[in-house]
Amino acid sequence: MKPRLQTSALILCATVCCLIAGWMVGVSRAAEQSADCLDCHRQRNLNSNAGILSAQIFCYNCHQDPASHGDFRASKVSLQVKPEYFLKSPHRLVACIQCHRSVAQSPHRSLSGVKCVNCHPEFFGAAGTHSEHQRVRCEACHTDSPFVILDVANNEVKLSHTNSKLVPISLAEHKTTDVNQQEFCSRCHKPDNQVGAPVAVLPSKSFVCIACHYSPLRMGNPIFLIAIIIAIIGIIGTLIFWFKAGVQGEVSSVHRKFQLGSEVVWSKIFSKEFFPILKTVIYDILLQRRILANGVSRWFIHSLIFYSFFARFVLSFATILFQKIAPEAALTLTLVNKDSPFIATFNDLTGLFILAGVIWAMVRRFITKPEYVATQEQDTIALVIIGLVTFSGFVVEGTRILIAQIPEQVAMSAFAGYLMSRLFSIINIGWQSVYGYIWYTHALLWALFIAYLPFGKLKHIFTTPLSLLLNYKKE
Amino acid sequence: MSDQNVNQQVYWRFSVLQRTVHLIVMFAFIGVGLTGFSMALSSMAPARSFVWFLGGIDSVRYLHRCFAVTLYFCVVVEVLWVLYFKFLLRGKLLGPNSICFGFKDLNFFKEHIKYLLGIRATPPPFDRFAYWEKLDYWTLFIGMQTMGLTGILLWFPEFFSRFLPGVCINLAQVLHFDEAILAVLYKFFIHTTVRHLRPEVYPGDWTIFTGQVTKETIMRAHPGEWALMSENQQGAPVGDQ
Repeated sequence: MKPRLQTSALILCATVCCLIAGWMVGVSRAAEQSADCLDCHRQRNLNSNAGILSAQIFCYNCHQDPASHGDFRASKVSLQVKPEYFLKSPHRLVACIQCHRSVAQSPHRSLSGVKCVNCHPEFFGAAGTHSEHQRVRCEACHTDSPFVILDVANNEVKLSHTNSKLVPISLAEHKTTDVNQQEFCSRCHKPDNQVGAPVAVLPSKSFVCIACHYSPLRMGNPIFLIAIIIAIIGIIGTLIFWFKAGVQGEVSSVHRKFQLGSEVVWSKIFSKEFFPILKTVIYDILLQRRILANGVSRWFIHSLIFYSFFARFVLSFATILFQKIAPEAALTLTLVNKDSPFIATFNDLTGLFILAGVIWAMVRRFITKPEYVATQEQDTIALVIIGLVTFSGFVVEGTRILIAQIPEQVAMSAFAGYLMSRLFSIINIGWQSVYGYIWYTHALLWALFIAYLPFGKLKHIFTTPLSLLLNYKKE
Repeated sequence: MSDQNVNQQVYWRFSVLQRTVHLIVMFAFIGVGLTGFSMALSSMAPARSFVWFLGGIDSVRYLHRCFAVTLYFCVVVEVLWVLYFKFLLRGKLLGPNSICFGFKDLNFFKEHIKYLLGIRATPPPFDRFAYWEKLDYWTLFIGMQTMGLTGILLWFPEFFSRFLPGVCINLAQVLHFDEAILAVLYKFFIHTTVRHLRPEVYPGDWTIFTGQVTKETIMRAHPGEWALMSENQQGAPVGDQ
């Protein structure tokens, strides 16, 4: 054989050998990585109860055995699943592999763990519980294990794989918690807990909190109900007083006054008059032209309070809409999370603006006292209530950041609240217990604001725009 | 040609409350129809595109329920108004000016058919509301009860299946869909045609939006009502009647 031909044959043989060897290694690796049980075992029809129960029995073949175990930190941990517990759980008609999605393979282990959100939407609705527990993993509350820990590094509350003596424990029992029992909350909400929960189990916010916070469409604590009843009585009294006056020449029949009044409103809205009215809404109500005409500093003080409340209300309202329309969207999850950088900064900034406006107004009324500022008792009460509500809000936030041990890089976005938390950390007074009282103080102050709305100076929030609209023709 | 364009005496026909309720019902009905059919016909590309445009199925489901609750809120307002009218204003619920059906309407119907067939020379002297106007109102009012009932079963199936057999949920689904078709066909075609496409009012009857009706329209379309109006009322256009 010629040397060139010999060399070529040798290279060809080597190439073929390399290709065959490479293919075999690849195949064996692929087989190792994706040896899926269901490649050979028949998949049950998981759309039927019979198929699901059959799939469960397949797993029970091993996992019902008390000797079934896994290795965790050099200790044996039971992996026995007891049907007597599982058959009472809400997931009794769910196949094991529908939750433990990555276990049907060799080697037989779960890489991703169970993710509740695969089936249950990430619902952080404002309806009380979930929105306040966003960093708490579902299983930390909804399973029966008493061992729950705060992972400070990941800002996450989750189930512990060890007990209080750091001995590995089994989490395979599948016992779910009855969330309607009172003691359910006290697993975490107890003195000296390690998961950053306040001792008191606090009620949800009320719908009246929407002026500043993303809140549920529910009444909340009874104090808000009392406040609303007082406010409604005040509003009805005001309306009765107003309707004692004549409307369009009618002086006796209230029915006729309503009829004539509503006819005027209708005829204004659905006519060319709508545009001058819109102009009044924009210039006089939104941009507050008439206050500006009285003085720049006066406009500035009022704007610090008005625009901050207005912006907070708009954002809270938009968050409710987003939450209802697209509960799982990234934007919604950002908006409902009060520790997200935007929301935390926005809340603190607007809160500081309100506080600055109140302090500035107080200084003008009691220290600098310009001639045109006529201090009345009603004005002072309104300013004090707004100031106290806002300040107590910062105290609540600071305490929350402190007791929840929110990591610095997260908490820094709420710059004022974070500063408060650092100040509070100097004083050791059991903030976990105090937090409930601070929260109720803030809530009571806001209830006072609501109840006082139709009686004092605060009613100008409604009466001034109404008066401006009725007199829209007067420049 | 519309006889409302002529500059002439006008009278109140609908109050602000009635106009407002009609406006809200109109938009809520369109909304509930669009969102409902885009869910029911989800296999069709336009429906899927519409659902995508509104932000996905969760969003459409939520909007559908919002519109439905708004619609039913209007029913509640109507009922409250009836109670107010009866017990505080001491008004009469039955009679020639009522929206309720009476035996007289059967006679009107018979005479109207004769007129349409050319047997009778003039239409019958309808009162304030003609029989088809009453039908318009009551189809929606009664339809809202059945749509509301089946809708609430579909909204909370877990709750209702605690004490109702599961087949009720399936039945509710079928009835909700079938009645939706009926309601949409009736409102979008028959109601729109009868109200707005008749030669007398073409291209649109604005009475329900302005609340006002011309003297000629009352005398032509509701002669019974005109005859019952007192001399004072006839002489007081755009006043309280």
